[in-house]
Amino acid sequence: MTLLLSGGLMLGLGSGVALLLGWADRAFRVRVDMRIRKVLELLPGANCGGCGYTGCGEYAEAVAKGESPADQCPVGGPRTADAVARCLGLASEAAFPRKAILHCNTRNETRQRQASYAGAPHCLTAHLVAGVQDCVYGCLGFGDCAKACPFDALILENGVAHINYAHCTGCGACAEVCPRSLLEIIPFKGDSMPVVSCANPDKGPDVRGVCSHGCIGCRACPRKLDCFKMNDSLARIDYSLFNPATDEQGLAAAELCCPMNGIRRAGKPGRNDE
Amino acid sequence: METLGSLLLIALGAALIHNFVLSYFVGICPFIGVSRRVDLAFSMGCAVTFVVCVAATLSWTLTTFLLKPFGLGILTYISYIVVIAASVQFVELYIRKAHPPLYKSFGVYLPLITTNCAILFTCLEISKNTLLVSSAEAWGLHQALALALGGGAGFTLAIVLMSGLRQELEFCDVPKAFQGIPIVLIVAGVLALAFMGFTGSDQGLANAFRAGEVQVSALAEGVTP
Repeated sequence: MTLLLSGGLMLGLGSGVALLLGWADRAFRVRVDMRIRKVLELLPGANCGGCGYTGCGEYAEAVAKGESPADQCPVGGPRTADAVARCLGLASEAAFPRKAILHCNTRNETRQRQASYAGAPHCLTAHLVAGVQDCVYGCLGFGDCAKACPFDALILENGVAHINYAHCTGCGACAEVCPRSLLEIIPFKGDSMPVVSCANPDKGPDVRGVCSHGCIGCRACPRKLDCFKMNDSLARIDYSLFNPATDEQGLAAAELCCPMNGIRRAGKPGRNDE
Repeated sequence: METLGSLLLIALGAALIHNFVLSYFVGICPFIGVSRRVDLAFSMGCAVTFVVCVAATLSWTLTTFLLKPFGLGILTYISYIVVIAASVQFVELYIRKAHPPLYKSFGVYLPLITTNCAILFTCLEISKNTLLVSSAEAWGLHQALALALGGGAGFTLAIVLMSGLRQELEFCDVPKAFQGIPIVLIVAGVLALAFMGFTGSDQGLANAFRAGEVQVSALAEGVTP
């Protein structure tokens, strides 16, 4: 008797619930753009926020509505951009993979400091204290960026972050946490990209006072290659002007003429990389 | 027994004295998973409170009108799971259609807690007080709802406390072996120890309420003649 009753009850309950949900599915249907789901399937689903939206879902919605270009996903890179563009029938543009570069070349042994710091081992807190690093623009070396990297592409080595370009997806998580804004996400037009590894905009003598290899603003590199621009007393590369195919010679000349040896190659190991 | 005092006792008991998370250790996964930020933790607490109330109402109705009259106590678990999962799914569908902004801020939590142990625990607690006792002592809907509201409030309190602690923890120098979840579990343990301070106060509260009632009724009797 109990067996029959319980079987009947569960059957009744189950079918009642199924009917209710079936009706609700029909009655409360929300029409969703099919393209959003298709784009979402093409995206990596890491939800890293590198595109500027809160997650892959929101980015898919924006792309499907035409509010955002198809090549904004740094994790998927050109392949995803191409697939998304093809899915939506958009013309695909050649997109370069975006990766992070570091604008400081200090090391534990070269970092000049007046005080020893015994606070919480975070750049965020060390940034508030004077004397941890004499150069107030330079890398503090506590590796907030390495901790923030969701792809294990940054490794703290010898008091400075090393970027493993095989893993870097350019999501920008590191750039967001660096209290001194030393990390920049740039389009990698070639296997390796030139980087001015300094962020100190002060005049030459001031820079020399706090660092043995910072940019002194001698204006030698802009004379060798056009994409180098002076920003006060700090050289910067305008990556939109840089063309790896034609600029190699000028770049090598600029590297040689830099008195501080401050132009590095990021990506593949370059001349000034140890 | 059906006085405001007894309802308050049930709610307070569920919220503080027998806190779901900190003394019964149910609902640990959302407690650990969504306690990183205070605002998210609060949303999670509200979602749990809401679902617990829905589940308590349904399971009480199911137990009182179907399971108890037919003597089908063995079906508590399985029928509760079916009913709760379906009702949460229904609510989710409804919110998505009727209140899209609410769905965006709140809907993501609903599937996560569909048949969460905290919710099932509330239902089983209600079934214990309706199925296993005589009809005279069986709980009414108001008592079931008092338990659900109190339990949900207790869960919200615990998860908000925890997220506040975890936000402070971000700035602490935690030894490498304890970083991440281990230190969170240790902090949760200390929090549970703190909540042990409430143990036994339900008896005292019950006595106080009873004394209060006696006084009130004595006053009423004293006034009427």
